Amino acid sequence: MASIARSALLRQATAAPITRQSVIASSLRAAAFHTTSRRSLLPPLPQRVEGSVNDPAPVPDPSPSHGSYHWTFDRLVAASLIPLSVAPFAAGSLNPTLDAVLCATLLIHSHTGFQNIIIDYIPKKRTPRARRIFTWGLNAATVVVGLALYEFETTDVGLTEAIKRVWTA
Amino acid sequence: MIAQRVGTTALRRVAAKSDAFFTANVARLAVAPPISAMQTRPVATQKLTPSDANAILAKQRLLRPVSPHLDIYDKSQTWFGGSIWQRFTGAGFSGAMYIFGASYLAAPLLGWHLESASLAAAMGALPLAGKGAIKFVLAWPFAFHALNGVRHLVFDTALVSSFKRRTIVQTGWYLWGASIVSGLYLAFFL
Amino acid sequence: MAALRSTTTRLLGSARPAFRLPAAAPVRGFAQLADAAQESATATAEPAKLKTFQIYRWNPDTPTEKPRMQSYTLDLNKTGPMVLDALIRIKNELDPTLTFRRSCREGICGSCAMNINGTNTLACLCRIPAEDSAELKIYPLPHTYVVKDLVPDLTQFYKQYKSIKPYLQRDTPSPDGKEYRQTKEDRKKLDGLYECILCACCSTSCPSYWWNSEEYLGPAILLQSYRWLIDSRDERTAQRQDALNNSMSLYRCHTILNCTRTCPKGLNPGLAIAQIKKQMAF
Repeated sequence: MASIARSALLRQATAAPITRQSVIASSLRAAAFHTTSRRSLLPPLPQRVEGSVNDPAPVPDPSPSHGSYHWTFDRLVAASLIPLSVAPFAAGSLNPTLDAVLCATLLIHSHTGFQNIIIDYIPKKRTPRARRIFTWGLNAATVVVGLALYEFETTDVGLTEAIKRVWTA
Repeated sequence: MIAQRVGTTALRRVAAKSDAFFTANVARLAVAPPISAMQTRPVATQKLTPSDANAILAKQRLLRPVSPHLDIYDKSQTWFGGSIWQRFTGAGFSGAMYIFGASYLAAPLLGWHLESASLAAAMGALPLAGKGAIKFVLAWPFAFHALNGVRHLVFDTALVSSFKRRTIVQTGWYLWGASIVSGLYLAFFL
Repeated sequence: MAALRSTTTRLLGSARPAFRLPAAAPVRGFAQLADAAQESATATAEPAKLKTFQIYRWNPDTPTEKPRMQSYTLDLNKTGPMVLDALIRIKNELDPTLTFRRSCREGICGSCAMNINGTNTLACLCRIPAEDSAELKIYPLPHTYVVKDLVPDLTQFYKQYKSIKPYLQRDTPSPDGKEYRQTKEDRKKLDGLYECILCACCSTSCPSYWWNSEEYLGPAILLQSYRWLIDSRDERTAQRQDALNNSMSLYRCHTILNCTRTCPKGLNPGLAIAQIKKQMAF
């Protein structure tokens, strides 16, 4: 069975060289089986294997600031948010410093969260431009929101107090 | 050639069905299948260099479809998984915070009123149901993100008992219940 | 062998009913099409337990045709208990063109990994749910390039396995010039890791691996990576950690834990990854 299939394939592939156009068209048609790829922004590309089957996948250079340090920092920030978000409401005391720390931590937490989303869904290899735009867009947005939070903290009543007032309104 | 094939086929049949020896039908078995009924494999072989073979393989690869994933995978592990909702709720809150921050900066220029006093006043003007709805829409994702955040932090400590298959599934469902209950509490009883 | 013969009978000898006689003797191995089921039920005096299998089909010989689902109905009374038994029976008796990988039929080779009713598992270890009458859906491993029908291409998976250097790396000779020894406790650390058969069920259950299989290693390879990281005899722990210390290779894991839930061998790739992260954290 296998040999029949293979020889037929070989004959097909050698006898009628497939043009680029038909390759793309057929791969799209074949991929239309599942609805996600029709809907998704980045349907998977036709399969290409870099190097031979026996070459190992490339190993990236170590960069702990994007790896282990980043991960550890992320967890510390997330963990510190638990007491920071519970304390002001539980204790009832609204220390402005604590409130500022909460705002800063929330901002960092949001920033790294968005970063993770960008890294996950905007592949660097495939869409390097979009990746750059989104990364820098996020950086800019974080700066803007940082400024806004500073404004809010200094001119308004502070985050926890504002939430409390809206909640009990 | 053909005669030889009949012979081997008969032998194979005999070997496969050992009691054929005792049925005295060996001769009939050997004759029974006409040659045309046998699977033939007309294989035309070609000499190919490894690089040619690789080129053919590379061409075939381009045609391969990707097997279905999100559509067919167990929905309780994809669409109702705690992990993706952690992302949804987190991105929702962070997105809201970013949008509010940007609007707050732009508010004086555009003449909007986003100070806490006017927000509280707007909230206070709403009917009770509206208040509750808005509060629940904010409180449920907050509760979910917070509770699941703790769950994920526990996972990150590599606590062996938290990684048991049953624990993962159970805490996943408890999470939904607990977050809805605490969301309701935060929205209506606080 | 006997079953294969009866297939040829069905396919090529349909116009020659006389040929059916010798092959028809072993009734157990005979084909059960849905319409033929009634007939066979009376023959065996047992009510037929019909179950429909919906199987993903795609043929590389006609690559422009969309992948489709094909239904096959079997009588479970005449089929073995596992999904692989059903697949083999379908291939033998209903449709010899159905293509899937299988070898050991006892969950040790990892060939028959596929998506059965929504979760990845080995067909040979997965019981056919006989009680419910719902159709059983069988797909290839999710988000893989399909070679044919249920056969996925695992080239990238194996290349990634090779990239973590899955072998003992050591410069110091053993003190007695014989084997490299380790304590019982150190050996115990490898339990739950060395049993992995690299069937790729876990990796292809991971949404993160679906989107980033180019660079993210995936649960199976990371479990193997951990197996070498905690081996007391290995002397390249630091280099192994460095190879994982970037944003993609390891840290695309978001503890979704589909891997642990799907592993047909009952291993815990999610825990192994968490342990690597913890090990590298400080």
